[in-house]
Amino acid sequence: MDDLAEARRLAEDVTRAAAPPPPLVLLEGISKAYGPTQANRDVTFRVAPGEVVGLIGANGAGKSTLMRVLTGGTEPDAGRLVYDGEAVAWSQLSPRACHRMGIRIVHQELTLCPNLTAAENFFLEQPEHRRTSPRWLAPYRRAVRESMAAVFPGLGLDPNVRVGRLDIGARQMLEIARAAHDPRLRLLILDEPTSSLSSEQARALHSYVTRRAAEGLAVIFISHKLQEVLGVADRIVAMRNGAIVSDRPRAEVTLDDLIEAVGGRAAAALVQDAAAGAAGAVLVRLSGTLTAPLGRPVELRAGEVVGLAGLEGGGQKALLRRLFAPSAARGGEAARTGRATFVSGDRRGEGVFPLWSVFDNVAIGRIARQPALAPIRFAAERAAAAGGAERLSLATERLPDPILDLSGGNQQKTLLARGVVGDAPVMLLDDPTRGVDIGAKRDFYRVLRDVAQEGRLAIWHSTEDAELLECDRVLVLSQGRIVADLAGAAVTEEAIIGHGFAEPEPGAAAARRALLTPERVFEAIPFIGLAILVALMASRNPLVLSSFGMQLLLGPAVVLVLVALAQMFIVGGSEIDLGVGGFVSMVNVISATLLVSQPTLGAAMLVGGLAGYALLAVLIQLRGIPAIVVTLGASFIWLGIGRTIQPSPGGSAPEWLPDLFAWTIPGLPTPVVLILGAGLVAFALNRSSLGVVLRGFGSAPEALARLGWSPLRYGIWRYLIAGGFALTAGLYLTATNHASDINVGSAYTLLSVAGVVIGGCALFGGVISPLGVVAGAVTLALIGAALAMLGVGTDYNALVQGSLLILILGLRTLLNWRQGDAR
Amino acid sequence: MRADAARFLARYRWVWAALGVLLLWAALSLLTERVSLHALSGVAATAAFLLIAALGQMLVITTGRGNIDLSIPSVITLSAYLTVIIAAGLDTNLPVTLLAVAALGLGTGLVNAALVIVFRIPAIIATLATGYMLATLTLLANRQVKTGRTAETLAYLAAGRLGGVPVVALIALLLAIVIALALARLAYGRHLSATGQSWTAAGLASVRVGTTITVAFASSGVLAALAGMLLSAYSGGAFLEMGSPYLLQTVGAVVLGGTLIAGGSATAAGTLFGAVLLVLIIVTMQIGGLPPGSQDIVQGVVIVLVLAVAGPGRRR
Repeated sequence: MDDLAEARRLAEDVTRAAAPPPPLVLLEGISKAYGPTQANRDVTFRVAPGEVVGLIGANGAGKSTLMRVLTGGTEPDAGRLVYDGEAVAWSQLSPRACHRMGIRIVHQELTLCPNLTAAENFFLEQPEHRRTSPRWLAPYRRAVRESMAAVFPGLGLDPNVRVGRLDIGARQMLEIARAAHDPRLRLLILDEPTSSLSSEQARALHSYVTRRAAEGLAVIFISHKLQEVLGVADRIVAMRNGAIVSDRPRAEVTLDDLIEAVGGRAAAALVQDAAAGAAGAVLVRLSGTLTAPLGRPVELRAGEVVGLAGLEGGGQKALLRRLFAPSAARGGEAARTGRATFVSGDRRGEGVFPLWSVFDNVAIGRIARQPALAPIRFAAERAAAAGGAERLSLATERLPDPILDLSGGNQQKTLLARGVVGDAPVMLLDDPTRGVDIGAKRDFYRVLRDVAQEGRLAIWHSTEDAELLECDRVLVLSQGRIVADLAGAAVTEEAIIGHGFAEPEPGAAAARRALLTPERVFEAIPFIGLAILVALMASRNPLVLSSFGMQLLLGPAVVLVLVALAQMFIVGGSEIDLGVGGFVSMVNVISATLLVSQPTLGAAMLVGGLAGYALLAVLIQLRGIPAIVVTLGASFIWLGIGRTIQPSPGGSAPEWLPDLFAWTIPGLPTPVVLILGAGLVAFALNRSSLGVVLRGFGSAPEALARLGWSPLRYGIWRYLIAGGFALTAGLYLTATNHASDINVGSAYTLLSVAGVVIGGCALFGGVISPLGVVAGAVTLALIGAALAMLGVGTDYNALVQGSLLILILGLRTLLNWRQGDAR
Repeated sequence: MRADAARFLARYRWVWAALGVLLLWAALSLLTERVSLHALSGVAATAAFLLIAALGQMLVITTGRGNIDLSIPSVITLSAYLTVIIAAGLDTNLPVTLLAVAALGLGTGLVNAALVIVFRIPAIIATLATGYMLATLTLLANRQVKTGRTAETLAYLAAGRLGGVPVVALIALLLAIVIALALARLAYGRHLSATGQSWTAAGLASVRVGTTITVAFASSGVLAALAGMLLSAYSGGAFLEMGSPYLLQTVGAVVLGGTLIAGGSATAAGTLFGAVLLVLIIVTMQIGGLPPGSQDIVQGVVIVLVLAVAGPGRRR
């Protein structure tokens, strides 16, 4: 069977060699520079239909840049793209245009929304297959099953399971299946597709790729696993320093050729471990599983510059973080003696303080460890900062400038200066020279050398392997473990790359799936809580379960259920509405006064209120104002309007209003019907395609915007839905109380949040559950009655409800911690 | 020249609030006879209570990540009740009262901080919940209130005058100066600003983020408690809902003053002018005979508009 396939492919190779097919994609003369770094230089790259091209190269070789150019992620400085025989202007090439053209890339960083199901994630990307029916998701469920069966036969997964519950391998499979499912697909780009897959899953993917290629699909397969590339690609392209250094058919290359092409040399020849050389005191000691491949602990000493190398994601960053954490000072596998400073290469995300001057940004390195009440000695700080700046050849007259006025390289120098003035025995550097010009890099190397000579230890992770030649010693990591400890003459680029690539294919990451995940526990809590509460109350007084008892007890719960559902949709967007209580009060007042005396005006005002809710969404989306403040401001507007209309309690209900809420189903008291009805409406909304998009925005707004969903439009929808539920709550209050009071709603703001939390929703991340919220809200509403039955005064209501909220949130954090530890 | 001006305004954002105060004051003086020096001292006293609480709110907002202290109104109310009950109108009881009130503020602040830092509950929820729980204690305290008298010294501090200037305004001014100096001159000011700009970057720069945030919440609690104590003396007692206007107004004073709502940059001077401006706006509305409802509307609109125009500084 295998032989047969092999023979067929050989035959294909021969025919291809005879008459090369016209390429599907031709990238010609691509050059792209990021600041001083030439990421691509004059690269010409082609892929033909039915061809699988393996793309390999060390970190920073330029593969990702080339793929970003091809998929419309970035515009090159020079070069052209010919797609299917036609030149494509760079300005027309966007990620969405690529989708239309049939170019799909599956990234290493996964882009699925973790809070949505597999089928819902398929929908977000290909909404055009949606039907208007309650079973609108069915085609997507089928798509998940079909596509998974096609790509990973026998490894299918449940399309209704939330992606966040899948292990990383399953998510990667799903991501690949989603791209492969696109009927327009003509070029599939897989970037490290098997990094989290088991060997069985990887094999399935390989044979799928081969199969689809035979049908005419073009594939670019990017992988650090050279064996894998040799197994799957028809042609292998190697990049180094932004240029293509080798482009040969698979039949003509060996594994050693490939290792050499990416800049390494066969690793076995170079295994040469470091002798503990430097004489300084041991400042860092690594042991246990971290150093298992070496079979001995690693001790790093004062006076050393130690590099951390390995393929991206090999555990270098994680090791630096572990060493920086306070727990490292207490020992363990990664133990540190003395203080440490950290210099991050992610300037924007975790380095620069954007509101500050250069001086402030440097000085915080010293000031951070001073006691809070210590006065700042500005003269001393200025001298120290100037000293740090001078060491890095950063002009001291730039110190008063805002940090953001500086170039990236100078910003990075500022961060290094911060680390230097921090004066700690251990300096940790996380890829500090990323995107920095060569002059600045030289300054960096010199300073690190100086710092080591002063008797400090510098531990330095770089994604540029060549740069690690500046180190006395290099630890190569793979799969989170140290696989080589190179020192002195053994520190060569070839050795570093060789060891990084040499690690055999990893075993399957154990696919564990806990039965009792925190999410499941929290989904069950509201229902269990409600059952316990009702049982407790019924044991005290059996009348609770009678129709009359329920009528009496659940009447007040209807409002809270409606308000909590309103809050739930806002929380689903990772926001909180502090004005919902005020809005309910305002609706109560308007409907009990104006709606009675001047029905048209009253109705207009209610509609205006809804429009006001939509306006909140507009302000939040367009001006980027935090929802908390906007809704807090709005709450005063709602209350103000209510007070203006009716300063003291009073009013009456419009005659027709009570009938609106007088639903009956034989055997069920009206409040029960209303509560269930509200829950079902929310449930249906949440399950609708609109609800899916809203939840998607709650967890990954950028991803949805990239897929073409409008944040503004769906923000407005979200607030309109919430406003609708709150409006209904206000009307219900009028219908049952036959009067209004502007202060009636004030407690509902907190109670609604509590109901949402008890109902099992996450405050951030778009995980919501309407039925849980209904149960949670009913529980909260019943607590008052339960307390009264137990002989506790109603004064304690707020205390119990508030404590319940805090208790559940605290528990959730604790459970998440434990789960985090288990991973 | 122009760039210098822009830089000046970016650095001293309180200038806008100060200008607002001046303009509104000038307009009021021109338009109505009723604005006198006496009215000015009334404005100063009202603004002083707001300022004391708003300074705490400012510290919390500056810790970033959308942090906000919603428990301030409850602390103010409960503190007022504690003052009435414990002091019972006697000067000799004041030290104990001060201790109790400070303990209330400190305790609330520490609980808030623990919920935010240890349990990672968003500040908005944590403070909303603690405030809500305090409301129960307030209800219980409401039953205990017997006396309507105010201790003399406290009455002097809250409602007295020193050379024509309300003493409480001097207290608030002193607090604002102390906090302004602490922010500008002590290591804490840098720690707070760094934390507010980015928790991650601050942590990696070795700032003790947890301690910094705890201090902010604790200060906010203590300042609110102090405001409540003085307020009870000023208004001659305690009543439910006494603190509720301070929910929006503290945020309003902070935002109007130019403190960034996204965190990382605080200005005590701005909060001072913001508090005065907000009180002036309210006074203007009262002079104009606007009903209380409309005053609420205007306050809400002003704060949302200021944010909409000024923007949040930067996006989260």
